Amino acid sequence: MKQITIISGKGGTGKTTIASNFIKMAHDHIAVDADVDAANLHILLNPIIEKQEDFIGGAIAVVNENCINCGKCEELCRFDAISYSSTDIRIDNLKCEGCGVCEYVCPVGAIVLKKEKQGQFYTSNTEFCKLVHARLNPGAENSGLLVTRVRNAAEDIAYSQDTKLVIIDGAPGIGCPVIASLNGVDYALIVTEPTLSGISDFKKIYYVAKFFNIKTFVCINKFDINPKNTVEIESFCALNNIEVIGKVSYDENVPKLLAQKKFIIDYPDSPAAKDIRKIWERFEGYFYG
Amino acid sequence: MKICITSTGSSLDSNVDPRFGRCPYFIIYDIGSDTFEFIENGSRQSMGGAGIQAGQVIAAKEVSAVLSGNFGPNAFRVLQAANIKMYSGVSGIVREAIEKYKNGQLVETSSANVESHYGMGKNS
Amino acid sequence: MIISVASGKGGTGKTTVAVSLALAAEYCQFADYDVEAPNADIFLKPGIKNIKKVTIKHPYFLTDTDKDFSGCAKFCHYNAVAVIGTEVLFYPQLCHGCGGCILVGPEGAVREKDVEVGEVSKGFSRPGIDFLEGNLIPGSMRTTTVQNELEKMINRSGLVIIDSPPGNSCSMVMSVKNSDYCILVTEPTPYGFNDLLISMDVLDSLKIPYGVIINRDGIGDTVVEDYCNAQNKKILLKIPNDIEIAKCYSRGGTLFDYDKSYKEKFQKTLEEIENSIFQ
Repeated sequence: MKQITIISGKGGTGKTTIASNFIKMAHDHIAVDADVDAANLHILLNPIIEKQEDFIGGAIAVVNENCINCGKCEELCRFDAISYSSTDIRIDNLKCEGCGVCEYVCPVGAIVLKKEKQGQFYTSNTEFCKLVHARLNPGAENSGLLVTRVRNAAEDIAYSQDTKLVIIDGAPGIGCPVIASLNGVDYALIVTEPTLSGISDFKKIYYVAKFFNIKTFVCINKFDINPKNTVEIESFCALNNIEVIGKVSYDENVPKLLAQKKFIIDYPDSPAAKDIRKIWERFEGYFYG
Repeated sequence: MKICITSTGSSLDSNVDPRFGRCPYFIIYDIGSDTFEFIENGSRQSMGGAGIQAGQVIAAKEVSAVLSGNFGPNAFRVLQAANIKMYSGVSGIVREAIEKYKNGQLVETSSANVESHYGMGKNS
Repeated sequence: MIISVASGKGGTGKTTVAVSLALAAEYCQFADYDVEAPNADIFLKPGIKNIKKVTIKHPYFLTDTDKDFSGCAKFCHYNAVAVIGTEVLFYPQLCHGCGGCILVGPEGAVREKDVEVGEVSKGFSRPGIDFLEGNLIPGSMRTTTVQNELEKMINRSGLVIIDSPPGNSCSMVMSVKNSDYCILVTEPTPYGFNDLLISMDVLDSLKIPYGVIINRDGIGDTVVEDYCNAQNKKILLKIPNDIEIAKCYSRGGTLFDYDKSYKEKFQKTLEEIENSIFQ
């Protein structure tokens, strides 16, 4: 069983486009939407929810009526999450990391770590395969933990059936949710674009994948909008022994098809469709070989 | 003497789960009394270091060996420090894996068999 | 006045809009809160004057004191410490630097050292933009730690433009929470719309007023526009889809480099925002 995570560093390079078209072409597979605070795969895959579970996130400190305002908690909080005035103690939920130091040092047991429901995750059926996806409550933290839940659920299914491939659509950026989506996978596909911003972010996400020892491939989307930058990406890859598994042409039909919730590969005359198919064919050996 | 098997379910008829840190259940089987208990693996919900935490939980159970599919370097390090033998590449039904162990058909693993890096890599 | 620029969906044009606002204002403070993948510097081209390391403290254990460190392992919420017998295993990647080990561990046997997780830079871009950027070291997970350092450098007395990271979770909330107004940048597609609704939920719960800029107008449908009109959500500006804008962007050019008339459009947008806040 192989797992591949599709990442980008920079947002909007085409991860979900590539992921969804791979999902359509694959067999004996499961799909995972690991972009939990802005999930988009369901828009294309029309999942029917089979199972739903609550996501109980990491703990947050909560002050109760026993508080004597000694300020010991504020003194020791490393995350600037506690503000202390002569009348009360306030916890900034956003900054609190649930480390438990305040709970430990409070002399009267006035601070307690509490876990709360911060979202939901779903196992669903789609036309092509099972999809595990999630919804993080707006503004909630612990997106990395939710990605872990979703990944565990997908692996449980994969190991119980004869699944050969898990396709994971990752989040933009290089932080917790991305790292959680890379945990233990066989391959990372970095979808990048030939823009200065794209190149800058590509190098960062490449470093992360390399740091976690994951075999990495690169696909350059809309490569022909800036041939010079495309060459720069290709040179960087050559220098660092990263396989450029393919390049996808800029195709003005693509945004229109996407907006109509269509799959690019269903339009074989589209240059982008040909390119995506070629990339998939190159991957098949790695996935099923 | 007790051994631990990573399992997809809570019974001896469940399948062996190939993951150490992120399996859903651990089966702790007592060879002497031919009895077993199951533990739900709480470590699997951790974003990182699942193998580390699971290793400590199992070490506290005083088992002599763990049977699983794969051990990442972090789980390996913890179990090795606790002098617990590891057997990787084990699959099939838990009951049958136990029989294979009793019959000496399993080969001990001398090193982690999957990659990792600081508790975040493959199968940690 | 602090104006943040955010978007649930990545790649909609947040940085394009934030940079354009700053260049339209000419005199302001600009803070790139997308510390995982900051890009505004490509367009604002600041001269950097000052770089400060962002660090957290990691514990180290004096194991030759023969003390019992198992309390540290039991306490740690992140599985960064494991104790087997007398051996202490520490996993720096997982450590948040909370300082719990020092408090819980045997006295004097746990020390701390500074570990770098990122940096914040301060600089200046023409014509009069005070530039701030946070930068997370790839592989670290301390995004909000770096953002927290940026927050300390914000000067509320003038106009501040904040470029937020994409998404709708904590790193986005860190960027928008202190702002007086938030601009949500979206694309007119089902994906943009889906993520826009979540972003609006976030801002509603934070009670921050917002308006929408539709970028790449024409690539999809009118669902976003119709929704905003029906729900009385202000559409501040629409930027049409244009391959030439994309090419200019790919070279590090700003929207104004492509078409000077955008400067006036963004100045008007700034005025509109100011008026709506100070009504």
